[in-house]
Amino acid sequence: MLAIASWSSGLPQIQFENRQQRSGITFVLDNGTLPDKPMLDGIPGGVALLDYDNDGYLDIFFANGASLPGLIKTGNRFSNRLYHNNHDGTFTDVTIRAGLHGEGYSIGAAAADYDNDGFADLYISGFDRNILYHNNGNGTFTNVTVKAGVTGISPARKKLWGISAAWLDYDNDGKLDLFVTNYLDWSFATSRVCGLPGKRLSCSPTLYKGEPNILYHNNGDGTFTDVSETMGISRHTGKGMGVAIADYNNDGWMDIFVANDNDRNFLFKNRGGRGFDEVGVESFVAYTDNGVPVSSMGVDFRDWNNDGKPSLIVTALGGETYPLFRNEGNGFFSYESYAAGIGFRSFKMSGWGAGIQDFDNDGYKDLFTANSHVSENADLDKQQHYRQSNAVFRSLHDGTFQDVSGDAGPAMQIRAAHRGCAFGDLNNDGKIDVVISAIGSPAELLYNISPSANHWILIKTIGVKSNHDGIGTRIKVITASGLVNYNHVTTAGSYASSNDPRVHFGLGTDTVIKEIEFKWPSGTVQVLHNVKADQILTVAEE
Amino acid sequence: MRAAFLLLPIAVCTTGPAFAGSCTGAEDQLTQASSALTRNVVDAAENILHALNASHPECPEIVLQQARLAQAKGNVNEAAELFYRYTDIDPNDSRGLAYFGRFFLEQHDYMRADALSAAALDKDPDDPAALAIRGQILVMKEQSSRGQALLEKAIKLDPDDPESQFQLGAIYDKGKAAPQAMECFRKATTLNPRDARAWDYLALNLEPLGDLERADRAYRKGLDVNQMGRYYDAFLDYNYGRFLFKRNDLSGSKRHLDRAVELNPDIRAVWYERARLDLRIQNYQQARSDAEKALACTQQGGIIDLQIYTLLTQVYARLGNVDLATKYANLTRETPPPVRGEPR
Repeated sequence: MLAIASWSSGLPQIQFENRQQRSGITFVLDNGTLPDKPMLDGIPGGVALLDYDNDGYLDIFFANGASLPGLIKTGNRFSNRLYHNNHDGTFTDVTIRAGLHGEGYSIGAAAADYDNDGFADLYISGFDRNILYHNNGNGTFTNVTVKAGVTGISPARKKLWGISAAWLDYDNDGKLDLFVTNYLDWSFATSRVCGLPGKRLSCSPTLYKGEPNILYHNNGDGTFTDVSETMGISRHTGKGMGVAIADYNNDGWMDIFVANDNDRNFLFKNRGGRGFDEVGVESFVAYTDNGVPVSSMGVDFRDWNNDGKPSLIVTALGGETYPLFRNEGNGFFSYESYAAGIGFRSFKMSGWGAGIQDFDNDGYKDLFTANSHVSENADLDKQQHYRQSNAVFRSLHDGTFQDVSGDAGPAMQIRAAHRGCAFGDLNNDGKIDVVISAIGSPAELLYNISPSANHWILIKTIGVKSNHDGIGTRIKVITASGLVNYNHVTTAGSYASSNDPRVHFGLGTDTVIKEIEFKWPSGTVQVLHNVKADQILTVAEE
Repeated sequence: MRAAFLLLPIAVCTTGPAFAGSCTGAEDQLTQASSALTRNVVDAAENILHALNASHPECPEIVLQQARLAQAKGNVNEAAELFYRYTDIDPNDSRGLAYFGRFFLEQHDYMRADALSAAALDKDPDDPAALAIRGQILVMKEQSSRGQALLEKAIKLDPDDPESQFQLGAIYDKGKAAPQAMECFRKATTLNPRDARAWDYLALNLEPLGDLERADRAYRKGLDVNQMGRYYDAFLDYNYGRFLFKRNDLSGSKRHLDRAVELNPDIRAVWYERARLDLRIQNYQQARSDAEKALACTQQGGIIDLQIYTLLTQVYARLGNVDLATKYANLTRETPPPVRGEPR
């Protein structure tokens, strides 16, 4: 019945298949939980999709927890994991060889080529330590955190609780800078206990003070400088979770959105690379339209209605709905969760990872959320569920969405404690797949098997004057039939995770792209004409 | 907004055995009258009691039902006199004490309602009428667990009391247990379709369950029967207006929020909600006016200052009034969000 309804709209179906079992990936996110359910154990689970060996296929990195309260990665159960993509649907665990076992309680992962050497590097954010791994180009990584000066320690010598990180070139100098979100001023010494013995719940983050975020400027010599204070970042204390970047005001400078848990969200407006103004309140994204904060977790920041203006989806907890902020293009955003049709549906969901991606290649981006409640004992409240299935909302091409999760295949019915998720094309078939981490159960590899015959293009940018990854490049695609679509190069977004750096466009029935326009961070504008669909296109900056 | 409903019910009545002699032959009609009063079918109850008064003038049970009838009709003095008369006749009847307690509760005389409900339960711990009123009073006294237990027992003994169903539903609603609350309100509305409050609550609890069509029907049924009196719900238009807002029926939402403002001009929440709608439909001047009125309201109705500041920031920004937009943006930033003490 539902499947018929789904087809009756005339839009293609979205289908996923979980191929974890045949992939060789056995990773299980271990949060090291304790009976008292400390704040820490609810929130790990970053995933990164990166092609660390430049073989043209995405590899997968999972961040993992540690034993508590010791914060030690004892044995393999707490090891971070890197899996190499064998190009045949299977993966090989190369963690040890790569030197990515990790230390401490890891949470987030962000991949990008910070030193412009052509190899993707990896930054791990965590509770007790952040780690920058430099990719040596030979399948191994080196921990360069201290030398690089990106330890996540504040000027007051306090290690801040890192959650997510984003690579961006905020000053368009051709070198990727690093933004790290930080969560709470919490420790085991100050930890409170909530709920009844044996049925502990996660305490509200409102019981703790927040922490400022960090912005590191890339000096171009392998080191970074903490510019949080001078750039206007650290004066704003929040409870940072997810982070996403986009040039929301189309001025050529990347802006930063931070999802704050039970606190007002931040929108850091880039002042021409010379500093940031926090304009969340003025832009109407600090709170929902009801003027109160929600448990903002994950975020994505892309143009979902093809108007060229990046908009926002934020995940939150059950009873709150997922905020959807539409960029009006005038400096304001409008809260459209209900108007866009996801309000009532997301009211019952609790979410972490989030993505604005075109899963059926129809030229309109859809929404995906990785769902689970924060508290392992959430089910004590009959309205809440700890283990939840993920959700996919299909674009109806008019700014509204339809929850098609129920029709999206058995993989979308898996109830688990999902956390971070990353989006990318694992098998280079032009359809966006999703890799999801889940506490206490195997990671899910959701291959996109949507039956649509729609066309696509995947664009890999190589910066020359701009940073090598081309992060921040804004791309506009006009198909032969006149469909106009926008996206930008970024690995940031979702929750504590890092996406495919290649930019994906669904093209609908068009087999030819009339024009592709690139606005590089350097200011270079580059235009390609009459590009064939259904290919992975590498474009170097002119 | 969930209104704090304190005015209540009419529990089910069974013919008291103490007066079996003088009431012989009237049992069925008394049961019918009691049932009619329970379901708020006042005319039918009145006709039955009128006939009984002629045929069984010595039956004391009629006095009790007449007291309830007078209460249902809003004849406070008459009801009080009849209740006093009945409790003089039989001071040990738990039902008389319980109904009298309900009467005082409806008059906001909480001390007497408290005392009478306690006495009723002492007389008969298994009397559903006593259990129901005592349960409700205990919930009001913030002894929620005990109150809930009594109400659950009352419903077990007498599942056909719509007021008990309503009160238990309200407890579940407060605890955000929508499925259980919805079931109680469904029963309450089935038993007493004239209870606008119960329709409102039913709709409010269908919303989070995603049953939007039933919620819509429940709101409309509530509006159909929303008459001044004991089952009146001053916030039905407000809640339905909010619901329609979320469903993108903006003109329908406006109709009901306009009515909500008329009905509750001292409540911040109604002005606030209409201001949000005004903003959505780009009627910024009206949004400004409504939001400023919301700010001036002393009865917050669950809307905190932060919400108003956030709204006014938007309104003035869209009106192009930079100074006031900045003022309220600053206030928004300076006002900390509420501390949620509860775990999650």
